[in-house]
Amino acid sequence: MEIIQSVLNGLLLGGLYAVIGIGMSLIFGVMGLTNLAHGDLIIVGAFVCMTLTAQLVGSVWAAIVITVVIMAAIGFFIQGFLINRVLDKGAEPALLTTFGVSICLSNTLLLFFGADARSISSSFATANAFSTNLFSVSSVYLLDFFIAICVIAVLHCILQYTYFGRSVRAASDNIHAAELMGVDTKKVFSYAMALAMVSAAIAGLLVGMTFIFYPSTGTQYLIIAFGVVVIGGMGSLLGTLLGGIILGLAQLLGAYFWGSGYQLLAGYLVLLLILTVKPEGLLSIASRK
Amino acid sequence: MFRVITTRFLSDQLFKLNACLFVPIIAALCILPFGVNENIVMIMVQIFLYMALGQMWNLLGGYAGLVSLGQQMFIGLGGYALAVITEIYHLPMIVGLLVGGIVSVIFALVISQPIFKMRGVYFSIGTWIAAEALAVYFSNWTYVRSGQGFNITVSYDLTTTDMYYIAAIVGLGAIGLVHTLLRSKLGLALMAMRDNESAAETIGIEIYNTKLKCFLISAFVTGITGGALYLSIAYVQPYAAFGIDWTVAMVFIVIIGGIGTVEGPILGAVFYVLLKQYLYDYPGISMIILGIIAIIIILLASRGIMGAVHDYWGFEIFSTRRWVNKSR
Repeated sequence: MEIIQSVLNGLLLGGLYAVIGIGMSLIFGVMGLTNLAHGDLIIVGAFVCMTLTAQLVGSVWAAIVITVVIMAAIGFFIQGFLINRVLDKGAEPALLTTFGVSICLSNTLLLFFGADARSISSSFATANAFSTNLFSVSSVYLLDFFIAICVIAVLHCILQYTYFGRSVRAASDNIHAAELMGVDTKKVFSYAMALAMVSAAIAGLLVGMTFIFYPSTGTQYLIIAFGVVVIGGMGSLLGTLLGGIILGLAQLLGAYFWGSGYQLLAGYLVLLLILTVKPEGLLSIASRK
Repeated sequence: MFRVITTRFLSDQLFKLNACLFVPIIAALCILPFGVNENIVMIMVQIFLYMALGQMWNLLGGYAGLVSLGQQMFIGLGGYALAVITEIYHLPMIVGLLVGGIVSVIFALVISQPIFKMRGVYFSIGTWIAAEALAVYFSNWTYVRSGQGFNITVSYDLTTTDMYYIAAIVGLGAIGLVHTLLRSKLGLALMAMRDNESAAETIGIEIYNTKLKCFLISAFVTGITGGALYLSIAYVQPYAAFGIDWTVAMVFIVIIGGIGTVEGPILGAVFYVLLKQYLYDYPGISMIILGIIAIIIILLASRGIMGAVHDYWGFEIFSTRRWVNKSR
């Protein structure tokens, strides 16, 4: 009956994967950019949060708030000073710019923190929320899933019910029409990137509590983020949750059937399969347009 | 108008100059290992091999419009083919290198079917994921000793001079190949596609085939170069062989030197290897510097150093321009 445990863990892990992918999905939906630095920015979030929790002992919430603010500022800066300038030149320069940012970030982390494995210590990292004879639920996985639902719900509300959300949706539907209606699209892009980095900070915090991380693990999370976004459909928030769950299930069932060495491979294969069969994703905005 | 004429004049002149220039340069490169000390020869080996990698990435990214982030899969396959052929079957090194190229082409052909359905960014990430999947697969595959890897013992017998000639053949061969390709019908098709894909398709260019040819050629040469690189490294291990660092190097070399030019990757490779060598004790810092330079170049001069030189002086060494017959 270990399979029940695998399925359950896969589902809960899917929530974490959804948070990892949601920022990338937002950025792709808004400006058609694939942010290759997304994984590294998540790890930057994890490192910032780790440093702050070590410094500000006792006030974890203050550390989290400061991390979120720092990450939002980094996102605003990257978008405003780098990506906005190359967006008009086509897709490739913007893609390669984010690639350069990604390499700079991971090597800067390596320089400051060394190559050692790190983690954000928390009281419930190893505890179980509840357990029965058949399965047990790890509390940190449950927290990941719960926060994932919250992040998706909040993001949905921001996009649907605020002026900023409306301008983001307008810019992603038709950038010229949005500009004619008086939307400063470059500014909207900068705020959208800041919002995506808030989600990356939360993802970094969760990743840091759930797993160990190194300066070089950004790549791994970029691929997870991309997988989630591709499976679910670029730009669709609900699709992100679905994509996360499918990827999480694929990995843990792959590990269950073939052994833990093949956990990542199973995820990659499902991803390549969906890229081949249905490249626009399961719940894509593009297919609805 | 003036620019066009000067460009043309320079280009005609250079065409005649080329022959007088290249013979001494190649002769100098041939006798170089006897004239300088071993460290410089080893740096030249690196330059030649990275030049070949840069040329192949440029053929895809700069000419065919295929921004591949998964070129490391061919390096890994080349390295592993060399290791398996020489360590398990005890065949000569040259067989290992060639098998590396052939295996890469076959693998490229197999994955081209699904991967060419992906466009733009999807292609970039699709190739990257294929390479990551290979890394995981090789680290679990007992035939290639899982994560343990191979020591490539044939390379212990190679002298620096041997290594230099292998690298020189690969590097100069790659330049020659790309230059010939671009001046062939394929090159003309590539440039037409780059300028306007639908117009090119209308006049009868088979876009899929042209792109596939570029992908296969670059897989072959990158595979052989991968084998040659692992001759100089002498130890192959899955996560290093299939690591994204290889493609990072190629992208930086091409962007800094000049994307879409033949000279760009040469210049970029010299710059990359020298900077890495200079900051050898601080590997992180050299990557940060390269990243910052690459971003600045994308922001300010999107065609790199050689692109800027072309635009200002119309100066080209490996001209891929064609001129209509003057008598017409």
